[in-house]
Amino acid sequence: MKILLSIDDTDAMKVEGVEVRGTGELAGMIKQTVEERGWGVCEPITRHQLLIHPDIPYTSHNSSMCFMAEIDADRLDELIAYSSDFLVRESAPEADPGLCVAVIDRLSHPGWLISFGYMAKNYVLTKQEAYDLAETMGIHLSEHGGTGQGIIGALAGAGLRLSGNDGRFKGKIKIKSETGIVTAGLIRATGKVDLVKSLEEGIILEDSDELILGDTVKALLLDGKAVLPVYSIGKDDSGRPRWQTYSKSQMKDF
Amino acid sequence: MWQVNDKGEREFTGGKQDWNAAVKAAEECSCFREDDEDELVADENISCYNCRYRRWTAKTFICCK
Repeated sequence: MKILLSIDDTDAMKVEGVEVRGTGELAGMIKQTVEERGWGVCEPITRHQLLIHPDIPYTSHNSSMCFMAEIDADRLDELIAYSSDFLVRESAPEADPGLCVAVIDRLSHPGWLISFGYMAKNYVLTKQEAYDLAETMGIHLSEHGGTGQGIIGALAGAGLRLSGNDGRFKGKIKIKSETGIVTAGLIRATGKVDLVKSLEEGIILEDSDELILGDTVKALLLDGKAVLPVYSIGKDDSGRPRWQTYSKSQMKDF
Repeated sequence: MWQVNDKGEREFTGGKQDWNAAVKAAEECSCFREDDEDELVADENISCYNCRYRRWTAKTFICCK
């Protein structure tokens, strides 16, 4: 069965004498456990930005982390139990962690979950609203410390991942190149990028097209694909467009 | 570069787009610590915009140090 696992609000700004792991790192550890224990095969983690608002408690940026996985149906309860215990154990003491696990095939109205995700990017939502939707849709939603406020972001993260059109993939894509210039085909061959695309011009690069690597090579989730965004930096001597990957400041709005 | 808001927090006056001021402030700060890679937004590594002790608000950020 295909599932979405999403977590939020696991960290804290400062914990004296304790190493605080970010939400993305914790999501990565759960993902690693799923694969190491043979429960299933996971897709990469995505980060989803939610609303920044004075009425919303968050640590520093109010984002949630989500991954999709194909798991053995017999392992679902075990995965939820493990993830719940993990969040209690690994979240910062001041955190308000939430866990969402949604079985995609069981979602009779996936649009409702997606809508909740987009609502959480634009409006202040309540825990009750999150619990009500989760119960209606048969989605696992649980809190694991503090106020449990993280359930809102966890549910929203699952919806935004399901939308296929939100957020950026966790981590940088590592590509070796002495010149800093590679082909789109080489990037796609890493298996971490489906398309290399100029978002402004709507042009999908051919595998033979070259691009200049910036210091951060990260993919976005667009149309259900991992898309490496590039922008035009003029034309070469033969009149062909020259491309460069987005910088961190260009990526920040995704 | 900084003002104290009505909650008594130290708020950056440059908003979210004053890249030069955010670099300058971080370079003058002994508490700067780079955030997780997934949360970096400034191209210059040492920038308050990339610090793990900044807390984003709707218009700018609060320094939590």
